[in-house]
Amino acid sequence: MKRIALAATLSLAALLPAQAQTVVRHLHITSIPAEVELMNSIAADFMAQNPDIVVELPFLENEAFKAKLTTLLQSADAPDVFHTWGGGVFYEQAKAGFLRPVEDVLSEEAKEAVGSAGISAFTAEDGHLYGVARDVAEVVLWYNKDLFEQAGVDPASMETWDGFLAGVQAFKDAGITPIALGAKDKWPAHFWWSKLVVRLAGQDGFQAAARGEGDGFAGEDFVKAGDYFLELAAMEPWQQGYLAAGYGDASGLFGDGKAAMHLMGDWDYGAMKDNSANKEGIPDESLGILPFPTIEGGKGDPTDTLGGLGGVLFSKNASDAAVRWVEFFNNQENQAKYAKDAYYIPISKGAADVMTNPFKVQIARNIGNAHWHALFFDQALGPNVGGVVNDVSAELAGNSISAEEAAELIKEAVDDSL
Amino acid sequence: MTSIVTGASAGSALSGRRRRLAERKSLVPLLLFLPPAVLLFTVFVALPMVDAATFSFFKWNGYGPITDFVGFKNYEDVLTHRNFGTAVRNSLIAVAVSLAIQLPLAMWCAIALSERGVSINVMRTIFFLPFMLAEVAAGLIWKFVYDGNYGLLPAIGGAIGVEMPFVLGDRTWVIPAIMLVITWKYFGFHMMIYIAGLQSIPGEVIEAARLDGVKKWQIVRHIQIPMVRSALVISVFFSITGALQLFDLIIPLSNGGPSHSSHTIVTFLYQFGILRMNLGFGGAVSVLLFIACVVVALAYRRILFRVEHN
Repeated sequence: MKRIALAATLSLAALLPAQAQTVVRHLHITSIPAEVELMNSIAADFMAQNPDIVVELPFLENEAFKAKLTTLLQSADAPDVFHTWGGGVFYEQAKAGFLRPVEDVLSEEAKEAVGSAGISAFTAEDGHLYGVARDVAEVVLWYNKDLFEQAGVDPASMETWDGFLAGVQAFKDAGITPIALGAKDKWPAHFWWSKLVVRLAGQDGFQAAARGEGDGFAGEDFVKAGDYFLELAAMEPWQQGYLAAGYGDASGLFGDGKAAMHLMGDWDYGAMKDNSANKEGIPDESLGILPFPTIEGGKGDPTDTLGGLGGVLFSKNASDAAVRWVEFFNNQENQAKYAKDAYYIPISKGAADVMTNPFKVQIARNIGNAHWHALFFDQALGPNVGGVVNDVSAELAGNSISAEEAAELIKEAVDDSL
Repeated sequence: MTSIVTGASAGSALSGRRRRLAERKSLVPLLLFLPPAVLLFTVFVALPMVDAATFSFFKWNGYGPITDFVGFKNYEDVLTHRNFGTAVRNSLIAVAVSLAIQLPLAMWCAIALSERGVSINVMRTIFFLPFMLAEVAAGLIWKFVYDGNYGLLPAIGGAIGVEMPFVLGDRTWVIPAIMLVITWKYFGFHMMIYIAGLQSIPGEVIEAARLDGVKKWQIVRHIQIPMVRSALVISVFFSITGALQLFDLIIPLSNGGPSHSSHTIVTFLYQFGILRMNLGFGGAVSVLLFIACVVVALAYRRILFRVEHN
């Protein structure tokens, strides 16, 4: 009997640690293999320090993630922590009660690290804090210096809209594809519309339109944004078959040195290499960043940036252990590893200081100096209006819609969702 | 469901005592096998259908409780949506291509390959292979074939000196390109149905006809096709409903683009209902599609019935 009891105790003891472990599931969208490895190693460090917590890192591809998240959050399979771009989708999730407020659990240190911009980005309308900011991103005009030289285009001449169009024409004349565009995915096309809106309507104009005030997105500045977009599209500046090309295709085309420019987020620095045929992309010395051309009479501030302020949110089932994990993941030391390898620009205070990559340093400075850091419009406006913005942008790029109709469609979508 | 019907009608023909016995005998398997089927059907088919129909009267983005009743507004929005007409047109094109090109092609191949033999078996397997391939895989393969930069099609075009368009990014070519893939993908399935039908025709019939000097195409027209009528009935039905529900091939090929010009009704539903988180709108599309399928099914039965009676 005694022996049986002993055996039972022993086997229970063997089981106990397993039972006491809290599982934290962090759903991410990281696809670059080396970056995934980094994430895994940070999780391993964390688990070594916290033997009672198991961190799982399930992955979903960007588009699949967007499509599946709504259902996933309402299922028993909901992740504890998940990626977010903030904006309209985040507000919906908070309003529906799928998120856990963390202002009381999150350490002061972690709050301070993300700064006031990071806190306000993840504070919902109800005043609760639901997430932790991780990174900032900016959409910039990447360019290939070799191709500029080959076509005899001076990058400095591209700073105004007219100069930009003249440059595009020069590339056409030289037989070089001026701009890579992945219009099949649509959101790459919406960067063009967004940047034009940032320049023409500015912060006040955009925010008023998003609230449905006055003519909303059918207002003069937005129609004008469409007209400028069409003016560019009429020159056929994109690569052949751009309507069938996704983001990865366009990124690879630019990385292969087959297009002179690519309007894309700073993450394209790594993605352009990953998507290129030789996996090396454009070498640093041949790569440059142009500011988006300014437009005379535009209401936007020249320092305005467009991009993201991404992070993670806590679903309503998230445990305190999940918060601990995110604090660890987002601390300066770990985020500095991301900064060092230039995967993104961490928001965590001090982490970006180690950045040596000149492009990332410049982008971090742009965002820091920005009068308005506009959130990606398709995220800021929510999936429905954002979807329409993406649609009409792809059509504007293909010159298959009028500027008035495009503006009217976005306005209708806003009216519908108010 | 069928077991109840057959059980009852068989029972009515029997005498009282034997009927009771038969009922008792059929009751056990009934109780044993029916509940799982009914349960699965209810949970995964009937309830979601009721749900979708309910959503269609609400404005709902998928989060939280359903409260915002909007009456028929979602239906109005669907019918006036600028891309819905294109989606319906494309679905109808798929039906037409299936009936007018795919099925005759399948029949032609079936007649050519209905004999037995090693080389014929190989050919049959080759034609049947596309059907065994997962839809998404097939879509990706053809995406590479059509790719304007590195694809097979532009390579062929280059070899014969014709510049090929980027078919999947071209509003004119995208639908014909997709229809080609559909025909390639599914004709083998219909061919197999016909072959099964053709092989059940007694050899003597055809031999007798041949001895009477009937020509080959007359055998086909007056003997073989009429005798595989039941296979035809099934395959026409499959190809109509299959074409109406076309989805998995489109997503990897064109994702409904460019500019929403290659949506079918189902990809339209997915794009504007699910991805845009407009589940009420999506519900309305699905109800309309359901009605269309039911109408097709009923009309088809009706037509067949009439043909049978003439």
